[in-house]
Amino acid sequence: MTAVTDQDQDRDPAHGPGGGQGVERAGTEPQAPAKGAGRDGRWDDGLIARRAATASEEPDEAADAEDPGDAGDGPDGPDGDIATEVEAYERSGGPLTPRLDSLRELLGLSRARLDRETLAEAGRVLDEAAARQRLSSRHTVVAIAGATGSGKSTLFNSLAGAQISDTGLRRPTTASPIACSWTDGAAGLLDRLAIPGRLRRRPQQGGSEADAALQGLVLIDLPDHDSAAPGHREQVDRVLALVDAVIWVVDPEKYADAALHERYLRPLAGHAEVTFVVLNQIDRLPGEAAELVLDDLRRLLDEDGMALGEHGEPGATVMSLSALTGEGMPELREVLGRFVQERTAAARRLSADVDAAAARLRPVYVADGRPGLGERAREDFTDRLAEAVGAAASGQAAEREWRRNAGRACGTPWLRLWRWYESTRQLGGLDRMALALAPAPAPPEEEITARQRVEQAVRAVADAASAGLPGPWAQAVREAAVNGARGLPEALDELARNASAGAGAGAARRAAGAGTRTRAEVRAGVRRRAAGPPRRRVRPGGRRRYWCRRR
Amino acid sequence: MDVRPQLIDALSALRDRVAAVRLPLPLPGAERAWQTRVELLDQLDDYLLPRLKDPEAPLLAVVGGSTGAGKSTLVNSLVGCRVSQAGVLRPTTRTPVLVCHPDDHHWFAGVRVLPQLTRIWLPPGQARDPDGLDDLGAAGGDEESALRVETAVSLPRGLALLDAPDIDSLVVHNRVLAAELICAADIWVMVTTASRYADAVPWYLLRTAKEYDASLVTVLDRVPHQVIAEVSRQYAALLTRAGLGDVPRFTIPELPESAGGGSGLLPTTAVAPLRAWLTHRAQDPAARQQSVGRTASGVLRSLNVRLPELAGAVAAQYAAAVRLSGVVEEAYRKEAARVRRRLQSGAVLAGDARTRWRGYPLDSSTGELLDALVESLVALLQCAVAAADDEIRTTWRGEPASGAFRFEDAGREAGGWGPAEDIEGRIAVAVRRWRRVLEELADEEVRLLEKNAAPDAETVAALLAAALLGGRRTRTAGEQLAERIGVQGALRLRDKGGALLTACLDQVMHGERDRRLAPLDALDVAPEPQAELIAALSVLQKERVKP
Ligand SMILES: Nc1nc2c(ncn2[C@@H]2O[C@H](COP(=O)(O)OP(=O)(O)OP(=O)(O)O)[C@@H](O)[C@H]2O)c(=O)[nH]1
Ligand SMILES: [Mg+2]
Repeated sequence: MTAVTDQDQDRDPAHGPGGGQGVERAGTEPQAPAKGAGRDGRWDDGLIARRAATASEEPDEAADAEDPGDAGDGPDGPDGDIATEVEAYERSGGPLTPRLDSLRELLGLSRARLDRETLAEAGRVLDEAAARQRLSSRHTVVAIAGATGSGKSTLFNSLAGAQISDTGLRRPTTASPIACSWTDGAAGLLDRLAIPGRLRRRPQQGGSEADAALQGLVLIDLPDHDSAAPGHREQVDRVLALVDAVIWVVDPEKYADAALHERYLRPLAGHAEVTFVVLNQIDRLPGEAAELVLDDLRRLLDEDGMALGEHGEPGATVMSLSALTGEGMPELREVLGRFVQERTAAARRLSADVDAAAARLRPVYVADGRPGLGERAREDFTDRLAEAVGAAASGQAAEREWRRNAGRACGTPWLRLWRWYESTRQLGGLDRMALALAPAPAPPEEEITARQRVEQAVRAVADAASAGLPGPWAQAVREAAVNGARGLPEALDELARNASAGAGAGAARRAAGAGTRTRAEVRAGVRRRAAGPPRRRVRPGGRRRYWCRRR
Repeated sequence: MDVRPQLIDALSALRDRVAAVRLPLPLPGAERAWQTRVELLDQLDDYLLPRLKDPEAPLLAVVGGSTGAGKSTLVNSLVGCRVSQAGVLRPTTRTPVLVCHPDDHHWFAGVRVLPQLTRIWLPPGQARDPDGLDDLGAAGGDEESALRVETAVSLPRGLALLDAPDIDSLVVHNRVLAAELICAADIWVMVTTASRYADAVPWYLLRTAKEYDASLVTVLDRVPHQVIAEVSRQYAALLTRAGLGDVPRFTIPELPESAGGGSGLLPTTAVAPLRAWLTHRAQDPAARQQSVGRTASGVLRSLNVRLPELAGAVAAQYAAAVRLSGVVEEAYRKEAARVRRRLQSGAVLAGDARTRWRGYPLDSSTGELLDALVESLVALLQCAVAAADDEIRTTWRGEPASGAFRFEDAGREAGGWGPAEDIEGRIAVAVRRWRRVLEELADEEVRLLEKNAAPDAETVAALLAAALLGGRRTRTAGEQLAERIGVQGALRLRDKGGALLTACLDQVMHGERDRRLAPLDALDVAPEPQAELIAALSVLQKERVKP
């Protein structure tokens, strides 16, 4: 069977900026449909996915929709009052706030050019970042996620030291998120997660010493993401987008499931620093099998592109334990305690979100190629216009006439046009074309300028200017060029008419006007390319860089 | 079950129609339709046709399910020895293993079923190292799928078990292969576990089984002793709710052997009921008839829905292809008309060409005039083609079906658009050829005249070109021509030259248009396959109702 298993999230949202063959066919099967249809981010799986699509007609698919639960956000204007509660929002990679500002500025500059869908994800990141920054930075919200039966609730209870969440045989057991907060003041955070009051708990009272280390922790037990129960996955997806860190609970049976890796861990590989992966239920594995499975799990994570936090390097924490017997639990508590006390999870998470958003937007802004007009393109443009208006030929004609009749040369229209043409090639270029025009009477004529030549010149200069720009921006440049060239043939007509007709000082003034306008128009077409992509872009490193421009 | 040869013929014809389906345009839904096609072919080739042709062939029970559900352990335990490797790393089974009685081996050794899988088979008697089993599988290569065929006397005659790869692990190849194998089954044995029985992915498969009305049994495996009753009851409830309440269920407790401990085989008692059920299906004629008949007629019935779906996708392809080529034709038609209008209004005689014409013969030479005219015409045509292409690009961008086409960046070899330089080059060549023919024409005309009165042939050619291209701006060109070679000759030349010009314009515009259409035409999307699919289906339906 052909099962198309691609994840669609990385696919170029538009048709690429050009590029490619007459027909591109997918895979080795020559007549298979080219992949790329159905870009809805659904997790696709051949025969099985066909069923998935059928099943999704049942009410359980509100997936990928907007979050219903973040109504408690408060106002999220871009310049919201960030200052109030923020204490520690620094991360190793660079300060978060300027990066968010850059991203916001980028989106602001792009709204007119890019469709909403392209910008939606980045906009959501900004909104969520603003919402999170307005809330407590003393707390770290950690969600426990995983497949049904992997032992999420058991682990949650074990950390809390109390039977808070139901565990059981029924699959799936947990149907809605439950929170446990070690410290007061998390109400705003839990409002944002839309967790109702009755599902907000405290850990066991009079907790041990170890519990002191967990001060500031807000733990969320999630439903599963892989059962057929309607709505569970939607809740998981909603909450995962809002928490500061995630503990993925896997078990020996399900640790290699495609649903976990393809749908979650791969897309979240950039969030490694705020990710824990724990292999639960090791008590069910005989002998040294636990080590083997743990190694295999590390290998899979590595293939997912997730950095592993080994040897002091930043990355995901991977450990094995048994929530039931308690084996490995002290280690998890310790790691988690340190993590919570650092209080950097929220900023790291947001930073990873910005990275992901920037990476996704990158192809929309940057293509391989250096946009801009070289001297060559400008000269070609002027030459083409000269041909269009007939000035190139005039030069030669004038020369010949001059040879025949040197004395009267200065008076011929040809020479004047020729001089104008020459003047455009020197410093000041088109600025001076009007000055070179001189009076000479003759009847006016319609459409002296070759329209097709002007059209061609404009097209060529626009192509040159937009070469190497991503689709929408190249389109913008072409549109600008066409708009800028509107009226150009008429202006050139008048120019040429005046050149051959000539007149008194009045005509010269008129001509000067025409010249200025022509120049302005020509320039406009050329210049507007600069208005293409905004010059600033957000880089993963958090610094700003400016577009190299050749002006 | 008795099957008339006409039914098999109708099915074979249908199968060939399905195999001929091509969906080259990336329309929404095309991927799914392609999967439908592949799945249909698998079911026809691997199951329905072989089953109808050889009703007496052994029953094939495919053991499918999630990774780690214990499929391999189950098959090993049913057979009574380790034929398929089991292990703690997920997924373990990558090469499917088929086990049958030695007497049945010939049924599976050839290409009767699953012809696309390379057979790996060790002749009986050759020593086998159970831990090396997977290496054997690996020998089949990663790309090419293999099927290991094993024989065991402990299996009853007339029954074959197939240990399929998982349906939900990260290994894509496994999922693909599993779906294909399940399509080949007489009996679907779906294995799940205490922690998996509510997973979404296996449920898609169960629903599929229901949709095709396949003979289905479920095995709830690896259930911890203490909770057997509870979990089993819950699973039963889920099945009932899904309309699968009558599906036979077998429950197997979790034992140390499930995780690879001990001998790796479950005690016979644990699998005895399932084994007995399967044996009964294979050996009791009535039960066998029922199992086989149910799956086969289920697949046959499902064709009534799935084929029209496929035909719909084929029709959508054709409609999209017609739309895409319509855009090209319309754009070029419009531009060709514009070129004609502009020629009449004398647009070619503008700019440099106009200057040359005005300076002729005093300030510009005949050659210069001709050059300027030709270049101006080239520019006009290049503009027309570029404008048409722009229009096509813009309209096509809104068509998902055009996703496969990549405009001018490439396609030189394929007869496609080619890069802009190519397009411009082709136009320049065509126009220059026209100029040469025009010059030859002038040459012939001049040679007819008396030697001393004859004007220079190039002058005639230049005047002719000016008259043809200048519209009303060059009325005098015609007069001058008449002065030099006479009115008759001038008119004759004009007519001939005009015809040549029209031919040149058509050649350029049609030639470029056809190049834009070429990649589409190459896909050869036609309306017939849809009708043929439906026709083949109705033949089949008639054959089915006949006694
Ligand atoms: N042997 C063993 N069993 C465990 C372990 N952790 C959890 N379990 C058992 O696994 C079953 C499921 O545990 P839960 O905590 O309810 O699983 P969950 O991930 O919350 O499941 P859902 O709520 O359905 O998503 C329970 O019967 C637990 O007792 C473990 O470490 N070892
Ligand atoms: Mg739970």
